[in-house]
Amino acid sequence: MGYWGDSLLTAFELILGFDREVRMAVWTSVYTSSCSIVIAALFGVPFGLWLGLKRFRGRQLLIALLNTLMAMPTVVVGLLLFGLLSRQGPLGPLGLLFTPLAMIAGQTVLATPIVANLVLAAVTGADRRIINTALTLGASRLQAAIQLLREIRFGVMAAVIAGFGRVIAEVGVAMMLGGNIRNSTRTMTTAIALETSKGEFAFGLALGIILLSVALIVNLFLNVLQQR
Amino acid sequence: MQPVISLKNIRVAQGENFSLSVDSLALQPQRIYALTGPNGSGKSTLLRVMALLISPQEGSIEFAGSDSNHLARQRQRVTLVEQSPYLFKGSVADNLNYGLKLRGIDSKERNSRIQSTLTIVGLERFEQRQAKELSSGEVQRVALARALVLKPELLLLDEPTANIDSNSMQAYEALLSGLSEYGVTVVFSTHDPSQSRRLGEEVLRIENGHLINGSRRELEESALNERNRVYGA
Repeated sequence: MGYWGDSLLTAFELILGFDREVRMAVWTSVYTSSCSIVIAALFGVPFGLWLGLKRFRGRQLLIALLNTLMAMPTVVVGLLLFGLLSRQGPLGPLGLLFTPLAMIAGQTVLATPIVANLVLAAVTGADRRIINTALTLGASRLQAAIQLLREIRFGVMAAVIAGFGRVIAEVGVAMMLGGNIRNSTRTMTTAIALETSKGEFAFGLALGIILLSVALIVNLFLNVLQQR
Repeated sequence: MQPVISLKNIRVAQGENFSLSVDSLALQPQRIYALTGPNGSGKSTLLRVMALLISPQEGSIEFAGSDSNHLARQRQRVTLVEQSPYLFKGSVADNLNYGLKLRGIDSKERNSRIQSTLTIVGLERFEQRQAKELSSGEVQRVALARALVLKPELLLLDEPTANIDSNSMQAYEALLSGLSEYGVTVVFSTHDPSQSRRLGEEVLRIENGHLINGSRRELEESALNERNRVYGA
């Protein structure tokens, strides 16, 4: 059947046979990405909302900074956090380096600007009358802001899903802060890099297919939400 | 009788050139006030000041018997319906429920108020209709119902008939003229002198940001002259 054909066959056998190595890598990816996106949403959604509603000196600078952080290479995030978490770093005594917690921290740093930026875009694009309408019906400023979030809920969900798509597919943070330790911090992306370099193309392909499927599902969700 | 709202020495600066100036204004309970004035004269700004959406740089606003300085609580006594009202996503009932929930009213009371208010505005059985499916006339009436259901002491309407067709306008005017029966004081802004004559029990006139003092007749003449100036006699 040839190299590709044999590899694809083996890849599907690994997926359908629920191979333990594949399962562990998928679980670690989904677990760390889900935790990091929840934390990123807790920070990013209120921050994007605040930045969208407030007018103050330095706002444009803050937005430019947010855009820069959004485009920051994953290995740079990994590098900076590595400096903080390594034995010689200020947070070294916590012993977090090469643990799932370190990966979650790194992926949170990666996802928060994305979520904040996309929520900011949704707030900026929202109908300007929403806040005043809520206020005239007796809402406080905070209640009016919450009502605005309800009105742009699909934009907020799209922001969170886009952030999830980014972190589940990244490799720099997972590699540098997780260390690609088998059954502990090995994710789909780091496993693909490692196994392929070892000549286990079929294994890498199996994980690649799963990763692509996740990306496809995330994008389908995004499309549905953006049409609302 | 104690006024529903009293404004004293109000000054609002917006940008460099425009300001609103009201030396004294006291609105009596259960009266319908027509607020007239040319485009850009400050009608909407005055309504927003009374709705506590704009804080004046100078002056004081007092509600009858008010013992609270809490802005959101004060704001719950007055409701403004904008010229192009925004309806929240969801059903008509969702929209009417919003302000009632903010006031902590239980669901039984909410449902009863919603049904009776929708009947007042002629939108019985509209509860489950989606906001996005409504015509512009229906949107205006739902926005009015959303304000009325809260039983405000002061209801402010910013050019309520500007964006609706003539049939809807007649129905809306009939509705407006009966509103004081529900114990509410109404201020509506309008460009149309005949509308202010038809519906306004009192007339307020604003020009270049200044609230004009004068008899009803003088204010109506001023409105008519302005209309003739703009559209020709």
